[in-house]
Amino acid sequence: MADSLTPRRRLLLYLGAVVGITFVHQPLPLALLLCGALALSGRRRWRLLQKTLFAMLAFNLCVSLGYLALSLWQGKVSGDWLLLANLRSCLLVYLGFWFIATTDLLAALAGFPLLCLLLTLTIGQMQTFTRVLRDFRLAFASRNLRRPGRRAQALHAAAQAQHLLDKSVAAASESALAMRSRGAFDD
Amino acid sequence: MHIPDGFLSPQTYLPAWGLAALAWAWAARGLRASLDETTVPRLAMATALAYALGLVMVPIPGGTSGHALGVAILALVFGVRQAFLACSLVLLLQALLFGAGGITALPVNALAIGLCGALAAVGARRLCAGMGETVSVALAAWLSVVVSGLVVALVLGIQPAIAQRPDGSPLFFPFGLALTLPAVLVPHALIGVGEAVVTVLVFRYAKARRWPTP
Repeated sequence: MADSLTPRRRLLLYLGAVVGITFVHQPLPLALLLCGALALSGRRRWRLLQKTLFAMLAFNLCVSLGYLALSLWQGKVSGDWLLLANLRSCLLVYLGFWFIATTDLLAALAGFPLLCLLLTLTIGQMQTFTRVLRDFRLAFASRNLRRPGRRAQALHAAAQAQHLLDKSVAAASESALAMRSRGAFDD
Repeated sequence: MHIPDGFLSPQTYLPAWGLAALAWAWAARGLRASLDETTVPRLAMATALAYALGLVMVPIPGGTSGHALGVAILALVFGVRQAFLACSLVLLLQALLFGAGGITALPVNALAIGLCGALAAVGARRLCAGMGETVSVALAAWLSVVVSGLVVALVLGIQPAIAQRPDGSPLFFPFGLALTLPAVLVPHALIGVGEAVVTVLVFRYAKARRWPTP
């Protein structure tokens, strides 16, 4: 059934689910909803769950440990909030990853041309950044048989930053000229 | 300094979505006319730079994360409106692709970082214009981080008071202002120094390439 939904409907469903979840304040329904989401998301569930736990681990661990320490200090330890907050975060982040894994975001936002234009450009830039950074890292590694010193690393970083900015502007200029030739700036 | 998903009450994020929608409409007004084949590549590059800067995050006990923002350079080169939109876009992508921030926290993060940060940067730059370019840009960048952090700390710190069970236990973020203010502001006062250095370097790059600044 989920496959028959249009990207726009998936977006609306996702946003509705997110809002609804924040009105649930009991751990058990949240746990059941998380189990339901895991069951419905098919074979990708463990990869999505792993990604979710990795994304929320640092922040939630930090806040949970802080809360635990404060509760212990005040002498009123309760696991209820820890369970509630972590289950809610896990479910919200999982739904976000599930949504983005199954939905074409640009198609879902098709009714907002300016947003699509900016998103397309930004995603293109991110890909340029990632590619340039990987190329530089590989080139740097291949030219240093031993671990390079801090000075060499700093020089490399400076050269990389300058090139990254120039390359990024050049790549975006090409995109913008292509868009100009197709009339993207005319209306 | 993202607030993650699940720590803000609906009483906070639903009105914030309304406020952010108004702010986005204001920022987008006339944007289409100002975008052309010279401004688009620069805006796209600066947006991607802000995205890259925001990816290196350190969790902070106050319930948020510490990282450079890039909003000051966006605001100083492109103005508040474009900076706000670009920053919001970065936050949306970070939330969806990496689970950093989140959809419920997006409007608060966008208003705090994208709007308040950009306004602080432009305001500080104008106020300190007499101190020379490097100092005024550095101060603008530092202040953008601290002001954004202040807004985030305030929003987080009021959560226990506005969303709690009848017995007084918190439903969303558990720490009050007495904890969030120092926990968020002290690290961000330091992060602001790094932000200032990056902003000055990129601003000099923009000037060297003769980019027009507002």
